[in-house]
This record gives sequence, C-alpha cells and structure tokens, in this order.
Amino acid sequence: MLKILKMKNEINIFIVDDNNVFTLALKADIANAFKTIPLKINIFETGEKCMEKFKEEKPDVVILDYYLNKKFQDAANGIKVLEWIKKENPDTHVIMLTSDDDIDVALKSFHSGAIDYVVKTETQFRKINYSLINVFKIMEAKRYEKRYKNLLVGVYVFIALIVGAVLAIRISEHSL
Amino acid sequence: MINSKHEKSIENVCDLNYLKEMMGSKKHLINEIMDAFLKQVPEELQSIKEAITKTDYAIIKSFSHTMKSSVSIMGVSKLTPVLQEMEDLATKETDIEKIKELNDTLNLICKQATEEIEREKMNYA
Repeated sequence: MLKILKMKNEINIFIVDDNNVFTLALKADIANAFKTIPLKINIFETGEKCMEKFKEEKPDVVILDYYLNKKFQDAANGIKVLEWIKKENPDTHVIMLTSDDDIDVALKSFHSGAIDYVVKTETQFRKINYSLINVFKIMEAKRYEKRYKNLLVGVYVFIALIVGAVLAIRISEHSL
Repeated sequence: MINSKHEKSIENVCDLNYLKEMMGSKKHLINEIMDAFLKQVPEELQSIKEAITKTDYAIIKSFSHTMKSSVSIMGVSKLTPVLQEMEDLATKETDIEKIKELNDTLNLICKQATEEIEREKMNYA
C-alpha cells in the first residue's frame, strides 16, 4: 500500500502535542510506516515553540493537537496555532488531532484550513498514517499539476514563437 | 534469583509488545519513550492529585484523558477503564469521592508499571 508512494524530495513534518510519550511514539511509528519516503520529523510541546521553527523551515505537514494547554496553561489552543500556520504559509497541510469526537472542533478545524481531522483512539497511529498517505498523495498530485502547467506554458511559448516567426517571414516577403 | 522468580509470579501490568513491535530494533527509541514515560507519569499524577484537592474537574478530566494515550502506548490496559471512568465523572462534574478511589487505583497501578519499566530499561541501557 505504502509502496505506491515514491517521493524523492524530503518531506518535513512537525508534530505539536504536549504529551511527550505520545509524540515520541508517533514520530517513531511514522518513520517506521513510511520507510521508503525521506522524512524529517520535528516535535514540539506547544504551538509557540512550533511557530519559532515554522518560520524558518515552512514544513510540508503539521500534525497538530487541539488541546495544547494541559501542561502549559497559557499556551494557545490548536485552532489558534492552525490560524498562525495558515497565515504564515497557506501551503502547509495541517492534520488536526483531537481527543474527543467533537463536531464543533472538527468544523472549526476545517473552517480554519485543516486538511484532515483525526480523533485519537487506540488505533490512533494507524488513522494518522492513513491521513498522511492522503496528504502525501495530494502533495504529489500538486507537484504533477505544477509540472504540467510549466509544460503547457512551454508549449504555448513555442507555438507563439513559431507563429511569430511565420508572420515575420510573411511580412518580410510582402515588403520585398 | 529468588527475587526475580518472585517478580515473575506477579502478573505484569505493562505489555510492551506493541511498543517493541512498533520500534523494531531501534532500542534507543524504546529507551527514549520509556524515559519520557517515567518523567511524565509522576507529573501527571501530581497534577491529578492537586486537582482532586481543589475539586477542579476540568483539570482532572484533561489529565485523565491525556494519561489514557500514554498508558496505552505502554500497554497498561488495566488502566484504560479506570481513567475512562475518572474522565467521565470529571466531565459530569460529579462524585469526587469515587474519583479519589479511582485515583488510588491509578497510583497503585502506575507504581507497578513504573517499576516494571525501570526493570525493562536495564535491557536497553
């Protein structure tokens, strides 16, 4: 299933969650699930710490927990961090994690630009990995789209040059 | 030797197979996660204890919830229903006495889990 994805460029992923046991295990699980893809995974306990690095690295994907203020009570919640991320770099894909299946949080996440919303359960890692597969596919599709757009622009320029050359020859023939 | 035989006769509360399977041969990662668990659990237990004395249901709810993730990674399945009940009661903001009882069980099992992980860590040092 995962072999379909053969991405050459390194994918930069940030995980933001204040439960260290969870983030370390998730990081190892992602690295294990996507062995064929070069990944760089950074972990952060708060959105504030994530944003400092975010500006420098502009990661491709952020896996962001909604509740970020258990340990640090003044820390911003996930929606706030999601808004910062989207403002800083709209191209970053954000997968929102929540502990409860709360429709309001889901709606708020999508409204603020999250690409997916995963409820943490016992099979949490599997669900997150499925969500990542989809994000990687979207990234690949976007890359192809860009390549085809460039190709199309190239073809147009080529045609325009030929038409221009033909016209120039005709004009010069007339003037003779 | 007598001691280790005795330990084996007690049923383990942690099932580290899931973690080992997930990490494969990367022993340093297992070690890192165990360290995080040993550091984090006392902090979480302390936060719950303080919240109980203040009858702060919101804090009890959020910590019993987050502990479910960490203990499930260590395979402490015995704690899942305990933490779930604690979280449910805290969500309903009711029965602090029952929460105290559950917290005693939680502390007891966590103590055993911590001891098991400390022993297990010796294999990964």
